[in-house]
Amino acid sequence: MLGKKSVRYITIIAATLSILWLLSFGWAIQDYYATGATDDVVKKQDSSQKTVKKNHMFTVVALGDSLTRGTGDDSGKGYVGYVADELKERFNGNVVVQNLGINGQISSQLKKQVKQPNIQRQLADADIILLTIGANDLFQQGRTLENFDLATIKTIEDAFVENLTTIFTDIRKANPDASIFFVGLYNPFIEVDETGVTSPTVRDWNRTAEEVSSTIPRIVFVPTYDIFQLSVNDYLFTDKFHPNQQGYRLIADRIAPLIKWEGERK
Amino acid sequence: MSATTLSVRNLTKTIKKHKVIKGISFELKEGEVFGFLGPNGAGKTTTIRMLVGLIRPTSGTIEICGYDVKKNFTKAMANLGCIVENPELYPYLSGTDNLLHFARMLPSVDAKRIAEVVDMVKLTERIDDKVKTYSLGMRQRLGIAQALLNRPKVLILDEPTNGLDPAGIRQMRVFIRELAEKEGLSVLVSSHLLSEIQLLCDRVAIITKGNIITVDTVESLLSSQEQAIWQLDPSVKGREILESLTEVTTLDDGYMVTPYDSTQIPKWNAALVHAGVQVLQLNRKIPVLEDLFLQLTDTGGAHIE
Amino acid sequence: MNNLILNEMMKLVARKRLLVIGAIVGILVILFTFAQYKEVQTQREKLGSDDWRASLQQQIIDMQNRLGSSRISDDWREQIQVSVQQLQFYLDQDINPSEPGAVTFVRMFIENSSDLFIPLLIMIVASDLVSSEHTLGSVKLLLTRPVKRWRILLSKYITLLMATSLIVAMTGLLSYGLSGIVFGYHGWNAPIITGFLVDGGDVDTSSIRLISQWKFVLMDFGLVWFVAVVVGTLAFMLSVLIRSTAASMGVMLAALISGAILNNMVSSWESAKYLFMVNLKLTNYLNGVAPPITGMTLFSSMSVLLVWWAAALVLSFFVFTRQDVY
Repeated sequence: MLGKKSVRYITIIAATLSILWLLSFGWAIQDYYATGATDDVVKKQDSSQKTVKKNHMFTVVALGDSLTRGTGDDSGKGYVGYVADELKERFNGNVVVQNLGINGQISSQLKKQVKQPNIQRQLADADIILLTIGANDLFQQGRTLENFDLATIKTIEDAFVENLTTIFTDIRKANPDASIFFVGLYNPFIEVDETGVTSPTVRDWNRTAEEVSSTIPRIVFVPTYDIFQLSVNDYLFTDKFHPNQQGYRLIADRIAPLIKWEGERK
Repeated sequence: MSATTLSVRNLTKTIKKHKVIKGISFELKEGEVFGFLGPNGAGKTTTIRMLVGLIRPTSGTIEICGYDVKKNFTKAMANLGCIVENPELYPYLSGTDNLLHFARMLPSVDAKRIAEVVDMVKLTERIDDKVKTYSLGMRQRLGIAQALLNRPKVLILDEPTNGLDPAGIRQMRVFIRELAEKEGLSVLVSSHLLSEIQLLCDRVAIITKGNIITVDTVESLLSSQEQAIWQLDPSVKGREILESLTEVTTLDDGYMVTPYDSTQIPKWNAALVHAGVQVLQLNRKIPVLEDLFLQLTDTGGAHIE
Repeated sequence: MNNLILNEMMKLVARKRLLVIGAIVGILVILFTFAQYKEVQTQREKLGSDDWRASLQQQIIDMQNRLGSSRISDDWREQIQVSVQQLQFYLDQDINPSEPGAVTFVRMFIENSSDLFIPLLIMIVASDLVSSEHTLGSVKLLLTRPVKRWRILLSKYITLLMATSLIVAMTGLLSYGLSGIVFGYHGWNAPIITGFLVDGGDVDTSSIRLISQWKFVLMDFGLVWFVAVVVGTLAFMLSVLIRSTAASMGVMLAALISGAILNNMVSSWESAKYLFMVNLKLTNYLNGVAPPITGMTLFSSMSVLLVWWAAALVLSFFVFTRQDVY
């Protein structure tokens, strides 16, 4: 006889479970629509105190816009990826990259991002910091070029300087030691601009940016204007704005040799 | 006269505007085996399904031990045991579990009764095996066992010998007769085989095209249709003599057919002999179902196996 | 009634359906555990640390970058925005939304299986609860006993409810037991944030609360069970209406799968919210995931499901007690 008892037990268990699930269901509904249940309210926690224990890897944190992200590079690596590749080779693979770049980011957004406690924690852990910012401020997806107006650019630049200063200060606060490599702007419109107003603007922008960089220790301003100056079309992606693979490689080649680490083996 | 256990009055069923059962009435008495005879498609199974409550009748009443199947379903069913077509029990359960399953659906059947019915159908040895390992005959017996669980007053068996071997058929027949005679059950058996009905039943209803054509005892039904076949020489003179005595039909090959009446046959024979007609052959012909149908229905189109 | 339910349970157990379902769940859990384990490993390799904050940050950044792309649809953009805000909130609160451990795995597993996998399992039982009696022919014996038809159907339905409860519990136990081997049997008290209110692409965090994961998991199970019951009832109805088990399974399967597809594309077809298939992911409301159609709420989804449930039940009983059995 097919275990008469076991059928009975299974039935009892099943009935008990049914009641349990029914109660859970009722609870879920009640909990979802319960208002004013405030005893468990989330309290803001100070997470900045919790630092990650330092690992034995060379940590690269990259911040900024689409250039940091690597937009336009078929391999998706971008200059950050190529820098990391070279470092990995030199440092025996002990390299960690945290790419926090966001497409289309402008300086005011980056300013906010850098203030986030977790970003600060990650920055504190960094050995070097790579940064691109400003291109979206200045070019506004090409709009600046269409309605060229010196006064507008002045306003943008002033805001940028202010943001950049705050960004640098905040990064330094989070990490007093890491070198910051701040990548300058190139002029993607150098060949299409018939009036010739963009080049002076970009150069002026870079000069200002470099000046801001110099006010804070251990910031390396990496110029890229010259790379794209003569044959801009060879190094631009089809969108005629972002660098292509070759362009990114050239930028990376500028940065990588400057990076040193005590863990490096010759 | 014993009590009526099942009574059916003016039963009809219309399926999709097609009248399948056209007003059937009959009664079953205690302790009798009642045959339900008809070709495939005559409405036997539909009628039986109405009797057991699987199909709702369009009109008419069915009472089992005085309880209306429609209005008092549970009380009516409590007095009924049935197997409709094959006994489709659960193959993945053992015989005992199958019986337990159906026993649980009845008001008061205990383990003792289960053992009792198992013993009745002689399945004690294999009862704990899974039903899927049973032979058809064993399944049939288990089906009967479950039908008997509730000590029914009426047992309805639809084609109970379908698919059984000759020995199985014989056993089944003996068993059914025993139930009727010893336990006083009314048994309704449907079949399309005359021989089976003939050997098993006390009374028989012949059903074709949704109608009961006749209800009678098996003996009278058959005897009324018996024929005598004559081969005479000289046949012309012989026919004249026979025609003067009874109804005669002449067949193509010269044989003559008269009704069979055991009291008259010797007299006719003597008359023939007396007139110098030689009786070459005299055969008593028991009718086959086909002939019976052909005679009972005007259409004569029903196909009988 | 008890006897009838025992009968149905006996048949259910004898047919070993529950064992088959257990085996299916077991295999799937093993696969998912392995996949999850692999993912954790690659994440670790990529980020060079097993700090969940770094990986969460990276997740946020990745989503933000997707937002920048002009090719994504508005709904998708809104959904990503919501996710970003929620993850950022977790990060700000320094709470790991996917605390490693078996309990988190159970939560993820049950949430992801609520709209297709669990209903599918229930279907295995529900689809042939009635139709198998027809195919087998045993319905003729069942319905000629002195028991009213509605009682027989009710006993079958109660059995279905109990089987549903068993299957849901089994899924929970198996996913806990098996994933725990890899992830460890902890995480009961990990904090979970609940109470996100989603409005378009915005997340309202004003009514947010922290609760222990075990409570959250229990609520998830309650909701998943309810969904399973509704789907089971629909399959049960089909099992009554269509006497072929295969056909009723097919219909149900088509409905469930079309629901999974519709979920991704019904946002502009508003009346689709009255279909039961797009309302199966109740757990999303607890998690604050944007519903497939704006305006859908836990209450509306539940109401829709309840209406379908009641209709299916009424129809099942109506047909079963009246139909002629041939």
